[in-house]
Amino acid sequence: MIQKLVNILLVEDDEVDVMNVKRAFSKNNIKNDLFVAGNGVEALEMLRGGIVPLPRIIILDINMPKMNGIEFLKEMREDENLKNISVFVMTTSNEDSDKINAYNLNVAGYILKPLSFEKFIASVATLKDFWSLCEM
Amino acid sequence: MINSNILVVDNCKVDVENAKKAFSILGLKDTLYFAENDLEAWDKLQGNQKISPIPKILLIDINQEGIKGIDLLLKIRKHEDLKSILIFVITGTDNEKNKSDALNLNIAGYLHKPIQSDKSFDFFSILYNYWNIIEYSSEKK
Repeated sequence: MIQKLVNILLVEDDEVDVMNVKRAFSKNNIKNDLFVAGNGVEALEMLRGGIVPLPRIIILDINMPKMNGIEFLKEMREDENLKNISVFVMTTSNEDSDKINAYNLNVAGYILKPLSFEKFIASVATLKDFWSLCEM
Repeated sequence: MINSNILVVDNCKVDVENAKKAFSILGLKDTLYFAENDLEAWDKLQGNQKISPIPKILLIDINQEGIKGIDLLLKIRKHEDLKSILIFVITGTDNEKNKSDALNLNIAGYLHKPIQSDKSFDFFSILYNYWNIIEYSSEKK
């Protein structure tokens, strides 16, 4: 099951959001190793450089400097060694074009960051339940 | 909120009944469609029995005899109007080759069916809750 083994790469440029994810993980007792990349370029470097061990999943923001989430996804899906990684988008972008592009690149889910932290904790709890059913 | 039709591809009667029962309690009865194999599923996605709007969620048992699951997944991923479908593989048997092929086709999850029927509601509830926290793109014109 995912939650015991998997390493999670969080691709997120906003430090407050990184902190919120860490807090929501700890509130939900999620103990997977968490790696953080500040943008798509950094994420690709970490994945290709073996910094994030297998198996791994990615939590991806959309709006980021240097290489945004959609650009990152495109490059990742073209890379033979990375293309099968499960990606969960977690973003404040409610743009339909971002959703369409993300699903066309086969993300496993597109989650809008709720405005309140309590709701965010609840979303992460739901995500944890879903991960507990998934095999890799 | 789930704003999508859901297609279930499975030919095991017990499993289909369990899914029907759970989804009916969860309030998804009206958006649920069933196919017994890959050909029937394709007919419901692109053929004579085409479901409208196209389902954004597909559940499939790729290891069931009589269902060419990987073939169907490949066709879906190659089709411009279908490639974005969220595919959840739900299976009761192990087949490492099918599993790795499915994961390479970027399924949203590879899940084991609950063995006991009384666990199946919990299983589908978790899926349902997950479908409720994710966003969906608006309908294609």
